[in-house]
Amino acid sequence: MTRPLFSAGGGPGARADRVARRAFLACAALAGGTAAAVLGVLAVGAVQFFAQVPAGSFFAGTTWAPFAEDPRFGVLPLVAATAQITLGAALVAAPLGLLSAVYLHHYAGRRAGAAAEAAVAALASVPTVVFGYAALNAATPLLRLAWPDAEAFNGASATLVVGLMIAPTVAFLGREALAAVPPAFFHAGMALGASRGRVVAFVVAPAAARGLAAAILLAMARAAGETMIVTMAAGSHAGIAWSPLQGVRTLTAFVAQANLGDVAPGSLDSHAVLGVAALLFAVTYAMHAAGRALLAGRPTGTSLP
Amino acid sequence: MSRGDIAQRGAGANGSQPRPRPAANLPALGGRRRWDLLAVLSRGAAATMLAAAAGLAGFLIHAVRQAGGGSADGAPHAGSGLWETIGPAVAGTLWFVLATAALALPVGIGTALYLEEYAWPKTPRVRVFQAAIANLAGVPSVVYGVAGLVLLVHGLSAGRNIFVGALALGALALPTVVATSAEAIRAVPNELRTAAYGLGATRWQVVRHQVLPAAAAPIATGTCAAVTRAAGEAAPLLVIGAASFATFAPAALGDPIVSLPTQIFVWAVRPQPEFAARAAGAAIALLAILLGLNLAVLVLRRWLRRAFP
Repeated sequence: MTRPLFSAGGGPGARADRVARRAFLACAALAGGTAAAVLGVLAVGAVQFFAQVPAGSFFAGTTWAPFAEDPRFGVLPLVAATAQITLGAALVAAPLGLLSAVYLHHYAGRRAGAAAEAAVAALASVPTVVFGYAALNAATPLLRLAWPDAEAFNGASATLVVGLMIAPTVAFLGREALAAVPPAFFHAGMALGASRGRVVAFVVAPAAARGLAAAILLAMARAAGETMIVTMAAGSHAGIAWSPLQGVRTLTAFVAQANLGDVAPGSLDSHAVLGVAALLFAVTYAMHAAGRALLAGRPTGTSLP
Repeated sequence: MSRGDIAQRGAGANGSQPRPRPAANLPALGGRRRWDLLAVLSRGAAATMLAAAAGLAGFLIHAVRQAGGGSADGAPHAGSGLWETIGPAVAGTLWFVLATAALALPVGIGTALYLEEYAWPKTPRVRVFQAAIANLAGVPSVVYGVAGLVLLVHGLSAGRNIFVGALALGALALPTVVATSAEAIRAVPNELRTAAYGLGATRWQVVRHQVLPAAAAPIATGTCAAVTRAAGEAAPLLVIGAASFATFAPAALGDPIVSLPTQIFVWAVRPQPEFAARAAGAAIALLAILLGLNLAVLVLRRWLRRAFP
């Protein structure tokens, strides 16, 4: 695709053209400036933090107690909690979302499909603080009916609700991946006499594998950055939890809770918040970029007849 | 693909791209539709999604009705109805919707126009810039709150007001606005541009009379979805510092931060059941506002499609 490079030099409208170009360039500069400001704040904070706390004790330490008399800045418990919530939510959302995508694209009739799509779209548009409220007041009481020794704030109900929150993402992106598979694949499989389920599972899904993996990865990036559900329902237990029924504190929950307590600007605590925020930025940015790279490398199916 | 794309597709049929054509309506070969394992499992998953959405709505309504829209003893609004307690937060949320839209939409759409129409051919530097902006959509909202707190509240002493909160929400929505607008602009057929340039139009005339009208509907859908999603965020506003008790509706951009999402959080973490009921009421109000905004965008999109066929 090529577009003309020239623009009218001194003809009618040339002045408006120059003004418009400058205005749009200013917009782009403003967007870039915003991004640079966010990145700059995190980078400066992280540099100040690592000037006071050695990186080794941050990344390898197993005690996170920034507000204690003798503060410790071992980030592993927070990372373990984030990994637990993210992987657990993926275990909930991957089957639920992928099977919903298969239903929407390969099984649903017109009416049932519209109802299912509306439900998935409704779940996708619920703000996370509402999910957090439901995790605290609906999921946790139900969980404690089944396992009475679950703590009032626990990782399991937060994981379950985060999984429900990201399932629509998997469903919609997964459906797009399925739709990108050339229909000839599906028709050929059906023509060979295989059942619809076999064709979808053994022909269409493998052909859409990259897109389906990207759907899960992008959803996991959202789970890793999810703040309100874990802040409200997972608690503020700072150690490594060996049971999902215990409370955990994720990277995001620490950032939210620390700032709620109004950390004094310029203190070591505030630098710790910025250090954790910078780590969070790096992790979620990398996950999102990896998901986008998977999508960009997706074969379009044009190589086949 | 960005969170914006996801959010936009979350709106279902009103995405910028045509909805994928379902493969379901292919006639079942051999006469009858077979019930295989995947049919059962996928129906179960869809039913679970439906049950989750219905269960959430039912739970919120139940939580409000159980309290009878009641009053909370010891609270500043004792004896007053639900509307009096959440009214200021509703007004605050509408302020945030308007301010975030006013900040993010012009800058985001302008950036997309520059990247797609003016920075052509795309140099590697422009490509890297565009990818970096798009990947920012994956960064959690709480990080934008921290950046806003450190830069605007502590650094520039701008105060914890609605304008600062809207700046953080606008920065949060911006990557998504840029990505969805750029996608909509890319989808405009190139023949429209070449024909206009052939007639001697300037680049601005092409943008103004060809590209923007052709891309208006998908741009409106995608960008408005990004703004409503940002307006439902609680974490950045809590980090910047939201008022925990809203006694009056905000009347200006310099007023303290009051918003439904932050109020839901503040009420939900209190142990008294009256506050839990209030949080449920606020949640229903927030969902109603977001639904109303989404419907308004649907109407706007229909109007844009009719105005610029």
